[in-house]
Amino acid sequence: MIGHDVFLPAPLLVLSFGIMIVLAATACRRSAGRSLLGGMVTLLLALAVVGLHTGGVSGSEGDTLFIQDRWTTYTAALSLFSSMCILLMSWRDTAHEGAGTGDEYVLLFMLGTLGALAMVFSANYMPFFMGLELLGVSLMGLVAFRRRPATAGHEAAMKYLILSGVSSAILLFGIGLAYGVTGSLRFAPPVATGDIPAALPMAATVMILVGMFFKLSAVPFHMWLPDVMEGARVPVAAFLAVVSKIAIFSSLVRYFGAEEQPPFLNDILYAVIVLTILGGNLLALRQTSLPRLMACSSIAHVGYLLIAFLCPGLLQAGAITIYLAAYSASTLGVFAIMTAFAPPDGPEGTVIAQWTGLFSSRPFLASAMTLMLLSLAGIPPGIGFLAKFQIAATGVAHQRDLLVCVLVIGSIIGLYYYLNIIRVMLAAPLFPSAGQNRDSRPELTALVIVLTIIVVIGGLFPVRAIHPILPMHPALPETRDETVHWRAGLR
Amino acid sequence: MNALPALVLLPILGGGVAWVAGRIRPVPTPASRDAAWWVVLATLVMETLLLALVTFGHQPHAGPWLAHFSMPWLPAMGIAVRLDMDGLSLSLIWLSLVLCFPCVFLSTRQVTVNAGAFHFLFLATLTGVIGTFLATDLFLFFFFWELMLVPMFVLIATWGHEDRQRAAMTFFMFTQGSGLLMLVSILGLVMAHYRTTGVLTFDYVTLSRTPLSPALSMLLMVGFFMAFAVKLPVVPVHVWLPAAHTQAPTAASVLLAGILLKTGGYGMIRFNVMLFPDAASRFAPIAMGLGVAGILYGAWLSFAQDDVKRLIAYSSVSHMGFVLLGIFCGSRMGMQGAIMQMLAHGLSTAALFLIAGAIQDRLHTRDMRRIGGLWAAMPRLSSAGVFFAVAALGMPGLGNFTGEFLVLLAAWHVSPPLATVAAAGLVPAAMYALRMVNRIFLAAPRAGLRPGPDLPARQMAVLACVMALVVMLGLYPQPFMTFSLPLPVADMTGGEDGAP
Repeated sequence: MIGHDVFLPAPLLVLSFGIMIVLAATACRRSAGRSLLGGMVTLLLALAVVGLHTGGVSGSEGDTLFIQDRWTTYTAALSLFSSMCILLMSWRDTAHEGAGTGDEYVLLFMLGTLGALAMVFSANYMPFFMGLELLGVSLMGLVAFRRRPATAGHEAAMKYLILSGVSSAILLFGIGLAYGVTGSLRFAPPVATGDIPAALPMAATVMILVGMFFKLSAVPFHMWLPDVMEGARVPVAAFLAVVSKIAIFSSLVRYFGAEEQPPFLNDILYAVIVLTILGGNLLALRQTSLPRLMACSSIAHVGYLLIAFLCPGLLQAGAITIYLAAYSASTLGVFAIMTAFAPPDGPEGTVIAQWTGLFSSRPFLASAMTLMLLSLAGIPPGIGFLAKFQIAATGVAHQRDLLVCVLVIGSIIGLYYYLNIIRVMLAAPLFPSAGQNRDSRPELTALVIVLTIIVVIGGLFPVRAIHPILPMHPALPETRDETVHWRAGLR
Repeated sequence: MNALPALVLLPILGGGVAWVAGRIRPVPTPASRDAAWWVVLATLVMETLLLALVTFGHQPHAGPWLAHFSMPWLPAMGIAVRLDMDGLSLSLIWLSLVLCFPCVFLSTRQVTVNAGAFHFLFLATLTGVIGTFLATDLFLFFFFWELMLVPMFVLIATWGHEDRQRAAMTFFMFTQGSGLLMLVSILGLVMAHYRTTGVLTFDYVTLSRTPLSPALSMLLMVGFFMAFAVKLPVVPVHVWLPAAHTQAPTAASVLLAGILLKTGGYGMIRFNVMLFPDAASRFAPIAMGLGVAGILYGAWLSFAQDDVKRLIAYSSVSHMGFVLLGIFCGSRMGMQGAIMQMLAHGLSTAALFLIAGAIQDRLHTRDMRRIGGLWAAMPRLSSAGVFFAVAALGMPGLGNFTGEFLVLLAAWHVSPPLATVAAAGLVPAAMYALRMVNRIFLAAPRAGLRPGPDLPARQMAVLACVMALVVMLGLYPQPFMTFSLPLPVADMTGGEDGAP
C-alpha cells in the first residue's frame, strides 16, 4: 500500500529535511544561534511550499496516507505561522541558554511542529497517530525545559506525559476497534457493514472522540491543561495553546467531516460544548496566574469553536476560518506580550497582580495587550468580534438555542476576567519595577506590532469572500446544494 | 462626496492626532497638554461645520433620507457600511456636538495626567455614538454600539474618582451583557428573513419588511429591549448607572448622561417601535409601567442622596422614565415628547454634571452635607446651578417641561391612571431639585469651607449658550418637534429591493 503511493505534501518533506540538517549541523558544532536560524529558515520554507506536494495526485479511490486541499493548506499555514511566532518569542532565551541545551530546544520544537503538520495532512490513522505522538513526546520535552524552578517544569512534564499517554491509549483502542469494523485505516468514522453489531463502530467513534477531546482539553478532559501551561515556559505554553490545538481541531474536522453528525454524536458534542464553555470560563474566573487564566480561556474558546463545528451550513466555513485565525492571532499576541514583560524562566511576571500600572510604565505593551484581550472577549475593533459574531450566527441559523444561550453566558463571564486584567493594568502602579522586565527586545516588539496589525485589519477589513474551505465528503448529495446556497449568499 | 463617513471618522482621527500631539515631548508639559486640547477643539469645530453642511446643504440623490451612504463591507454575509440620516439622528448628533463644547471648555483642560490619551478616548466615544446614531446596517450598528463602551470604560477606570474601577467594571458588564442579547436578536431576525426569502442581509430597511410570527417578533423585540433598557436605563437594570455616573470624571459623566443614555432611547425608537410595531404595542403596557416605576423610584432615591453627582444620576433615571413612557405611548405626540425630553434632559443634566464637577474641583468633595452657601462666594456658578436645577424639575418655559408635558398628555390618552401616577413623580422631582439648590447654594456658608474662584467669563458664556438652548426648547419647541421625528419605515427606501 505504501510502496506505490508517493503522494507527500511538501511542507512535511521540507520540515523533515530541515530537522535532519539541523541535527547534522549539531553533530558538527553545537550552537543555539545556528539551530535557531536553521529552524526559522525551515519553517519559512515550509510556509512557502504549503500548498505543494510531491508525487501523483491523491487518488479519490483507495487509501492514501496524506491529503491536501484548501482546509489543510489553511490550517497548515496557520500552524506554521504560529510556530514561527513562537520560535521568535523564545529566540532570546534560547540563545542565552548556550549551546548545550539551546539547540535541543529548537530540535524538539521543530519535531513538535512536524507532528502537528502530520496530523493536519493525514488521511489515514497511521500518520495521524504518528503525528500525535511526535507532537506529544516533543511537547513533553519542551515542557520540562524550564530551568527556574526546575521542579515546576518537571512536574508539569510528568503530568502531561501521564495524561497524554492515557488519552493516546484510549485513542489507539478506538482506532483498533475501527480497524476491526471496517478493515481499513482510512481516516473517517467507521460505518458498520454486514453482521457487525452497530454498537462496535459507535464505541470506536466515541473512544476516538474522547482521545481527541483529551488533547483538545474539552471539559471533562481538561484538568491537565492549566497545570501544564503554568509549569511550562511562556512560549511553550503558547505552543500548547495554539499550534497543538489547531492541529487537533483540524484533524477533528477532517475526521468527522463538516456535515450533520449522527444523532448520538450530536448529543455528546452538545453536552461537551456546554460543559466546555461554562467550565472553562468559570475556572478562569478565580485564576491569579496569567498562563493558567489563558489556559482556561483557551478551553472556553475550544467550546466556541465546537459550536461552529456542530452547525454545518452556509456560514460554517467562514466562522471556523475566522475564529481559528482570531484565536491564534490574539492568543499569540497575549503570549508575546507576556514574554516581553516577564523575565526569562522565572515565575515573575506571570502573576496578574504584577501587571499593575503597566499602562503608565509601558504604554505600548499595555495598549496592545488590551487590544488582544478585547479581541479574545469579542469586542470591536479586534478580529475576535467578527469571529464571535459569526459563531453566534451559525448557532442562530441552526436554532441551537441552548448553545447560543451558553455562548452568551460564557461571553459575559469571559468579559469579566479579561476586563479584570485590563483593570489591573489601568490601576496606578504600586511598586513601579517589581518583577517587570525593563530591557526592550526589538524582535518581540516587531512581533507584537505585526500581530496587532493582523488583529485590527482582520477585524475592520475581513477577507471579502470567505471561500468554503472545509473538507466535504464528495459522495454526499448535500454538498452540491451547499455550494448553490453559498453562491446565492454571495450574490 | 458624501459627508456621513467623514462625520463618523473625523472625531476618532482628530483624537489620534490629539494623542500624538500630547506625546510629542517625552515629559508632558503644560504646552503639550494644551496642544492636545487645541486639536480636540479644532476637531469639534470641523465636525460642527461638516454637520451644518449636511443639515443645510442639499443632497440631490438621498431620497427620503437627509443623507445616505452605502458601501459593501462583507458581501458574503450581506453586511455593508450603510449610514443613513433622518431628523431623529440629526438632532441627536447635534445634541452630542453641542454638549462636547461645554465639556471641552469647562472640564477636559483640567486633566493633567496623560491628557492626550484622555482626549483620544473622549473623541473615540463620540465616534461610537455618532456611528450608532447613523448606522442602518444591524451589524454596523452593533459594531458601534460595542465600540463606544471601550473608551468609556477606560475613561472611567483611569480618570475617575475613588471607587472608579468597580464602577467601570459594572458599567461594562451590564452594557456588554445586554448587548449580547441584542446580538442574538439581530441574528434571529436576519435568520428569519433568510429562511423566508433566501436573502442574507443585515440591512435595516429590508429587514423591517420581514414577516414574523407574533411569538417570534415578541421574543426578538424583548432581546433588543433588554440592551436599550440597560442603556436608558429602565428601573430593574439601572444599577450600573449611579456608580458609573458618580465615579466618572466630569467630561465622561457629561458624555454618559448627555449622550450615551440617549443611544438607549434612540435604539428603542428605531429598533423596538419601528422594527416591531405590533410586538411593541403588545409590550407597551409593561414598558409604560416600567417607565412610571422609573419616574417614581428614581425621584424617590434621588431625594435620599447626599452625594451631588449621585443625586443627579438618580434624577436621570427618573427623567428617562418619561422617555420610556413616551416612546411606548404609541402616538405621535408621545414620540415627540420623548424626543424633546431626551434633548432637554441631555442639555440640562449635562450642565448639572459640569457644575457638580466644577464644585468638586474647587471644594474637593461632592458631599452636600459639607457644601453649603456657595451663592456668596461663587455667584456665577450658583446661578447657573440654580437655573439648570429648575430646568430639571420641569419648570414651564424650559425644555424639560415641554417634553414631560407632551409625554403626560399622550399617556393620558392611553391610560389616565398611569398618567396621574407619572405626574405625581413631578412632586418629588421638585423636592429633590429644590433641596439640592437649598443645601448647596442658598444655605448659610459652612464653617471651614474655602470656596475657590468663580467660573471665568468664558466658561460662563458657554453655559449661557446651553441655557439659551434650553429656553428655546421650552418656549418655541415647534421646529424641533416637527424636525426631529424619525422617518417612518413605510417611506424608507434603500436596501436590496429599493435599489436592485
